[in-house]
Amino acid sequence: MRNKLPLIICLISGLIMFLQYFSKHPVSRAVYSSILDWWQIIFAFTLLVGAAAFVKVSLKGLQKKGEGKYKAIALAGVVVMPILAIIGGNKLGSPFLWVFENIQAPMQSTVFSLLAFFVASAAYRGFRARTIPAAILLISALFVLLGRIPISEYFSEWFTRIMFWIQDYPSMAARRAILIGIGLGSLTTAMRVILGIERTYMRGE
Amino acid sequence: MRSQKTRWLIYGLLFIAIIISYSITIQLKVTPSPFVKKTFEYMEHLPPQSVIIISFDHEASSLPEIKPIAQIMLRHVFRQNIRVIGMSLFAEGTAIGYDMLTKAAREFGKTYGEDYLFLGFKPQYISAILGMGESIRRIFPEDYLGNRVDSIPLMKNIDNYNSIAMVISIADGDRAVQWIEYAGARYDQKVIAGLTAAMITTYDPYLNSGQLYSLVGGLRGAAEYESLYGKLGGGNRGLLAQSVAHFFIIILIIVGNIIYFKNRMQSKGMK
Repeated sequence: MRNKLPLIICLISGLIMFLQYFSKHPVSRAVYSSILDWWQIIFAFTLLVGAAAFVKVSLKGLQKKGEGKYKAIALAGVVVMPILAIIGGNKLGSPFLWVFENIQAPMQSTVFSLLAFFVASAAYRGFRARTIPAAILLISALFVLLGRIPISEYFSEWFTRIMFWIQDYPSMAARRAILIGIGLGSLTTAMRVILGIERTYMRGE
Repeated sequence: MRSQKTRWLIYGLLFIAIIISYSITIQLKVTPSPFVKKTFEYMEHLPPQSVIIISFDHEASSLPEIKPIAQIMLRHVFRQNIRVIGMSLFAEGTAIGYDMLTKAAREFGKTYGEDYLFLGFKPQYISAILGMGESIRRIFPEDYLGNRVDSIPLMKNIDNYNSIAMVISIADGDRAVQWIEYAGARYDQKVIAGLTAAMITTYDPYLNSGQLYSLVGGLRGAAEYESLYGKLGGGNRGLLAQSVAHFFIIILIIVGNIIYFKNRMQSKGMK
């Protein structure tokens, strides 16, 4: 029973969600809305669990030499931001929004912008036409890079045309193949879970 | 050691190139792409007082690229007297979205609650998108500022996607895909995406199939939109720096390959 009950719940939930898609009956809509509410509530609790886990891990790390100061800053952020929001609200001009705009946003943008430097360095050191497929990839990348910048329009509009062709045909074909693969894979997995064939969510029992 | 020096040289040159290109003002020639034109035309012809949703589905890290797109689109919709419901499916997008929406609305003298409102953040994006198709006020009983949604004039007669002309997802990831797959497929909701340049190809299949109405992508998309709108802004300013960085990377790739082939020929000659 310990194993069968979760499987039965999973089967019934899966079937209800599958069948309600095709029904506009008020009962079906009500069940669907309630399930969506539950989904939100469960997810809100997972956020709480995540926050609690973060605090727990950070508190443990506080005692460790070297990383303690970083954990302290992270914990301070977790404590300070809600306090600022509770005291000063979240309107325009509030301390909460000021900290977000002037500390968090610039820090994240700074870290993200470092990517440009790594890409530049990696492009120089790693993007080599060692084989024919690598050469095709390299030439395509050059055209896409050129096509994305307006400077290329001063030379020839063909750069933009070629870029669109690469995006619309070879790239799109590959993307579609991947998307269809993902779709079929998701469908198969969902069917396996609903029918109780896939049981890894029950520790594989 | 030599490799370290090369790396620092690349970093240094790129840094200088970006600083210089940000410091000077050159208006680059940008020809609006068909999709940016389509987005612009759609907004131009949308009847005044129509209601659209703008969802700020991005993180703070992509702000330099996302902000010009969001700003110019917000300015355009407010100029056209279109009413806006702002929201976010990304926790970080909440404060940014509220800030950008409020500032753009103030530029045009719009009133909160009548011309625009911000619903805030909702976790679990799939259930939020699907739930809004049934009842927006059930998913968002209160707005970002804690007002009851029922008491907000803009929300009178609006309860689901039937009253929403368009959803614009300003995204740096695949959150707009969820709008397409859930709001679009199930509720027939039209969706436009404002995206970072790196994400454009991910959306091409949806765009090509018509599931995504249109998109504005990257700083170039923002600059194209600004040129159609008639007022240059962050898109044009950032585009020069981005163009210079791209050009620099192209040169690095070419130089790297020349050195590689030269070394290969030399080693073959030695054998």
